[in-house]
Amino acid sequence: MRPATVIGFLGSTLDAAKFGPSRWNKWRPSVGVVMHEDLRVDRFILLHGPAHQRLADQVAEDITSVSPETHVECRLLEFRNPWDFEEVYGRLLDFARAEPFDPDSEDYLIHITTGTHVAQICLFLLTEARYLPGRLLQTSPRRNAADAVGSWDVIDLDLSRYDSIATRFAAASAESSSFLKSGIATRNPAFNRMIEEIERVALRSRAPVLLLGPTGAGKSQLARRIHELKRMQHQIAGPFVEVNCATLKGDSAMSALFGHRKGAFTGAVADRPGLLRAADKGMLFLDEIGELGLDEQAMILRAIEDKRFLPVGADTEVSSDFQLIAGTNRDLGDAVAAGLFRDDLFARLNLWTFRLPGLADRREDVEPNLDYELDRFAEREGDLAGFNREARQRYVAFATSPEASWSGNFRDLAASVTRMATLSPHGRIDVDGVEAEITRLRRLWQSQARDGTAILDDVLDTAALADLDLFDRVQLAEVIRVCRSCRSLSEAGRTLFSASLAKRTSANDADRLRKYLARFGLDWRSATGK
Amino acid sequence: MIEIDGSEGEGGGQIVRNACALALVTGQSFRIRNVRGKRSKPGLMRQHLTAVEAAAAIGAAECTGLAVGSSEISFAPGKVTPGEYHFAVGTAGSTGLVLQTVLIPLLLAGGPSRLVIEGGTHAMQAPPFEFLDQVFLPVINRMGPQVQARLARHGFYPRGGGRIEVDITPAPLQPVDCLDRGALQSVRARALVAGLDQEIGQRELKTAGSKLAWAQELLVLDAIPAEYGPGNALLLEATFEHGCEIVSGFGRVGLSAEHLAKDAAGRMAGLLKSAAFAGPYLADQLLLPFALAGGGTFSTVKPSQHSLTAADIIARFTGRRWRFAQQADGCFHARLS
Repeated sequence: MRPATVIGFLGSTLDAAKFGPSRWNKWRPSVGVVMHEDLRVDRFILLHGPAHQRLADQVAEDITSVSPETHVECRLLEFRNPWDFEEVYGRLLDFARAEPFDPDSEDYLIHITTGTHVAQICLFLLTEARYLPGRLLQTSPRRNAADAVGSWDVIDLDLSRYDSIATRFAAASAESSSFLKSGIATRNPAFNRMIEEIERVALRSRAPVLLLGPTGAGKSQLARRIHELKRMQHQIAGPFVEVNCATLKGDSAMSALFGHRKGAFTGAVADRPGLLRAADKGMLFLDEIGELGLDEQAMILRAIEDKRFLPVGADTEVSSDFQLIAGTNRDLGDAVAAGLFRDDLFARLNLWTFRLPGLADRREDVEPNLDYELDRFAEREGDLAGFNREARQRYVAFATSPEASWSGNFRDLAASVTRMATLSPHGRIDVDGVEAEITRLRRLWQSQARDGTAILDDVLDTAALADLDLFDRVQLAEVIRVCRSCRSLSEAGRTLFSASLAKRTSANDADRLRKYLARFGLDWRSATGK
Repeated sequence: MIEIDGSEGEGGGQIVRNACALALVTGQSFRIRNVRGKRSKPGLMRQHLTAVEAAAAIGAAECTGLAVGSSEISFAPGKVTPGEYHFAVGTAGSTGLVLQTVLIPLLLAGGPSRLVIEGGTHAMQAPPFEFLDQVFLPVINRMGPQVQARLARHGFYPRGGGRIEVDITPAPLQPVDCLDRGALQSVRARALVAGLDQEIGQRELKTAGSKLAWAQELLVLDAIPAEYGPGNALLLEATFEHGCEIVSGFGRVGLSAEHLAKDAAGRMAGLLKSAAFAGPYLADQLLLPFALAGGGTFSTVKPSQHSLTAADIIARFTGRRWRFAQQADGCFHARLS
């Protein structure tokens, strides 16, 4: 074991006693610390001012006599004002820097029982900052007894060394990450890791968070739980305001988000505060943010950066301090390249980006979510619902098989559970009920898969369609879909060839698109019906 | 390598001290696991550490696990070198217990030694200096070696700081018999008082005197220089034809003088009533030298768990086993088998 060195101040009051044998009946911290059977002090660095030289000599002599193993080194440390923090800290820092500490071969105990409160605070700070490479030593008199020895405790500032504290931290952290998962004991390690990260970010940062993931992956639910968690930790006081940007269209989008003044436009019969102001001191969740128009994007950016914006028709800006969570299932990077999304807003959002996997990528989490949905059903309907054992095995086997595409993710699972629970007598789901549901799910996913190319039925006749390879069918269907979502041939061209556009390898996207459509006997009008 | 489980039996510290002495005498190494395993503060305490270090110093031993709180120590003895040694034990740890660790090896060494030991001389949980000087060492001296001890300065709990000086002239240990203590020749009660009100000693003497029906002139107040204090001890001595016994009590804060004296007097009365040569402390300390002498017997009171544990350790090192046989008069005769 390394020899122990105690570093401490001479206590001008506590260590003082009447000279005479009675001093041995009094608890004197600097002497008591060397009188313990279970603590051997090999070296004692006793700090004292010149005014207390006599006391220091006396204490040093008593230490040596009662503890012959202890070598006492008195150090003069003069303070003009021992209650002056700056002076005491500075002096002690000088002392700590000058002292040739060797923590590998000596164990240092910093005695904080003596000295002014300021001195104790400084010793604590220097120990915590590792200028004093030791542990804190605290001594105290024994209760209800005149006793020179007292008791001692070593305080290690590494909180993880204290089982009960560490357990509480771990429990609190498990609680909050479990909270973000709505209490679902998810098993997918990548998902669990991501949730832990989100928890850390949520509790330490007010920066915007971007949640990526397919429809039904739980973005909105997660955003709501993050808000709840921050509210429980008193980090946020205001409400949770959720907007699906796909539902905001045209002029009303601006006024819905930013509000308007009465009379700003026809129909603006009263002031409207808008969603951003409703989210003041709270959290705004903008789902499908990729659907937001460019003007609205500019306003949102300013609102995040300056916490200020101008309502429609207003002369003066209003302020709102909210935390933003954005969700999207689009690739915003592509949208930026296509000029459909502002790169400055994207940069602002792209700090804490989390990609929520779909249910098909988290097959091990199907079961815990299944239980969660059953509980939710029971809560909602007041009826307990459950599988019998065989039925559960059958359902889980299907649900975790590659055949189950879960294209609607958790939304599909919730609907599936609701259907089974509702259709089963007395809430007991049996194998027949499961088989029927599996058939329903297969049909749902098949029709969705067919839907991918069903759009071609509108533009090509059956004979032309039969001539097309699947390879071309899929490609053409997507091209038609993009065309229909765009206002002009040029916009559709820019979207479809955005990567080439970014590299400036394509001069005329509209022409390229026109030629592609022509290969199938189509033009803008016949393709879009516009 | 002799393996010892320190949590077995009684007297954790005694196991350590006896094992060190036996290792130095027999040349065998040992390892103790669970040092003082049954105690509230398990592991080696400072005074045990000092004792092991003292043994290592006189016997050039190689040790591992020498640290306060250590639960496992190993001790590989070298050759015992007689000479002048100075040991200091902190926290009023007993000088007598350090002496107990190194005395027997030095008794058997190739030349005389002189020891200075500093620490407690009249402190709890160990016999006082007078016990060494008047009770234990006379028996050793009858066995062959010559040991003289002087009390240079008293050391009381909690400050310690006492000093004893011991001169040792070695000789082979001869078996002796200590069955009959002979007739009672004299008794005496001494109250030591240092740096405290002398009335404390007066009250102790008065209580013990009346309980034992000892005459006033047998009660002596011994004022120790105040600078050695504070401290107080009551020593009750009984000298017999062939031996001496001392019972002691040590004053401490919170213990009344009367209570202390009554307790000590009760133990002295029991000793006087019995015919045993050795009380429990002396019996503990005779086991080792008698075993090394290879013979000899003594009579004692009912052997304590402490004694039985010591006897076990001795048997582990020497193969010699102690037997305690109860006699018609209630005493036990201790004999090597």
